[in-house]
Amino acid sequence: MNPLLLEVIVVVLGIVLLMLEAFVSKSDKTFLAWIGIGGLFAVLVASFFTVPVPADAPYAAFYTTDALAMFFKRFSLLATILVLVMGIDYAPTVEKFVPGASKGAGVGEFLSLPVLTCAGLMWMVSAVDFIAIFVSLELVTISFYVLVAYMRRSATCLEAGTKYLILGALSTGFIVFGITWIFGVTGQTNLAAIATVLPQLPASASAALLFGLGLVLISLGFKIAVFPFQFWVPDVYQGAPTPITAFLSVGSKAAGFVVLVRVLTPFLQDETIGAKVAGVLAVITGATLLFGNLAALPQKNFKRLMSYSSIAHAGYLLMAVTSIGVAVAEPAISFYLAAYLAMTFLAFLVMALVASAVGGDDLSNFNGLARRSPWLAGAMLVAMLSLAGIPFTVGFLGKLYIFEVALSAQHYWLVGIGALTVACGFYYYLQIVRAMYWMPAAENAAAVPVSMTSRITMAALAIAIFVFGIYPQPILSMLG
Amino acid sequence: MILFGLAVVCMRSPVSSAMCLVVSFLGLAALFFTLDAFFIGIIQVLVYAGAVMVLFLFIIMLLDLKTAPPRKLNILAWSGGGLVLIGFVALLMKVVLGDPGLAIPKPALATDNLNDVKLIGLTLFTDFNLPFQIIGVLLLVATVGVVVLSRRELK
Repeated sequence: MNPLLLEVIVVVLGIVLLMLEAFVSKSDKTFLAWIGIGGLFAVLVASFFTVPVPADAPYAAFYTTDALAMFFKRFSLLATILVLVMGIDYAPTVEKFVPGASKGAGVGEFLSLPVLTCAGLMWMVSAVDFIAIFVSLELVTISFYVLVAYMRRSATCLEAGTKYLILGALSTGFIVFGITWIFGVTGQTNLAAIATVLPQLPASASAALLFGLGLVLISLGFKIAVFPFQFWVPDVYQGAPTPITAFLSVGSKAAGFVVLVRVLTPFLQDETIGAKVAGVLAVITGATLLFGNLAALPQKNFKRLMSYSSIAHAGYLLMAVTSIGVAVAEPAISFYLAAYLAMTFLAFLVMALVASAVGGDDLSNFNGLARRSPWLAGAMLVAMLSLAGIPFTVGFLGKLYIFEVALSAQHYWLVGIGALTVACGFYYYLQIVRAMYWMPAAENAAAVPVSMTSRITMAALAIAIFVFGIYPQPILSMLG
Repeated sequence: MILFGLAVVCMRSPVSSAMCLVVSFLGLAALFFTLDAFFIGIIQVLVYAGAVMVLFLFIIMLLDLKTAPPRKLNILAWSGGGLVLIGFVALLMKVVLGDPGLAIPKPALATDNLNDVKLIGLTLFTDFNLPFQIIGVLLLVATVGVVVLSRRELK
């Protein structure tokens, strides 16, 4: 089947969910999530039976289905399924913070909008033209504006939404301005066409080209949250509904990295400006690694800690992006993001359960969790070990591949910073483990109730972390 | 255009800001006219200066916004923002003035009566059909979002 059908089915699914929300008078809206999960799972299966788009198709200039695109289409689908799974348990919290006239008001849209976001993510990872990149990026960003600010009776949620909206709109301005400069110099919006035009350009054009690319980089830097465009991250992550925080930190970041890789590849491989671009990226990488890891050290709130950790992970990923001009980096980036999906969602799943049971997402709420709910603490332990990068987990292999790529591109000092900051990471990830296993629990603490869906999902993610940490070949073979 | 753009930000009363934005849009439309892009220029006036601005004014009146009280100047924030602004404008000027493309004269149009509307429509619905459809989904998401975020009580 035509791969474009995948996105069409996802969009239709989103519209069907919205319709069901509007016309089915049932107060329990979580059945929408089940339909969504089922539909997305069917699309996930269907994605293995697609044929490449014909080269003469009218949309072939905008849309590619190479191994990278297909891998990240499945990645987006999986991330959205996990968001919906989290959304089922999170529905009561949404209901509490949304002004509703009847029971279950507002939950339906909360569960159907991520499906439309998923379509945007799938288009984004396939986009090979600046126009397509821009429209799909906007689809994703605008749906995130809504989802981040969703619980509008909560002040922190509204604050997060406003911050995200203002900075997001600013970064949109930057990307459009940058695209016009690049178009002005090369006369092309298609990335493949730009790659063929680049070597023929006169040397005097490189200033304008670099200026345009710099503006695009600012905007994408905002999306993937790298230093110095990371100011929004802690507040937005803390304020947004937990499933959306996880979605933002995995889905939006992964798609942003795919776009970054696609946009930067022709420029990094260019002989005249490639070295300059790589130099700028290397500086950003070093700063991001240091900032993310050092700022995470004193954090006392779980979501803020995860937000700085997500900045740090963007730093490791950027290390591989920097090496694109001289080494094959895409498999390492894709593998790292796949690992990041498993461990981040596992951590957020546990956190959402603990937070809704105890009533807050501070680190102190995890005190003595091992005694109250040993399985939940065990799942969190797996996620933290993998995020820190302990051997036999996917997190370790992901970092190993990234360092390998950076070494083969001879970025020795970046690898040095990376190794140092990994040590930093041990401290703050294991802080959570310490709270769970060695700190005494509060007097009135009881076991955290866990639904069957969450149980199965967490077990699957934890097993995946170990299995792919020891036997990564299935993922690697998918990357071609 | 730039002058009125600045006035949009600096004016204390929201209505004056909105009116300055109209003039700024008209300037932008004039810029399109000088580039022989008549259709985009007219659309700029009709859609932005006309429809969008009327909407803005309606919102201002509905919300009953008052003139903002003068705020105390935060020297640090202003100087920091100013430095970024000056740096950006300096970089922009350096790039613009150093670009050889500036010296190339604008080529004349091949024919005097180019059918703008037809050409734009053709491009939009044939070559750029996929991005155009994606924008459709984007508008759907935005509409749902507005309803969800602004209704007093959700059903």
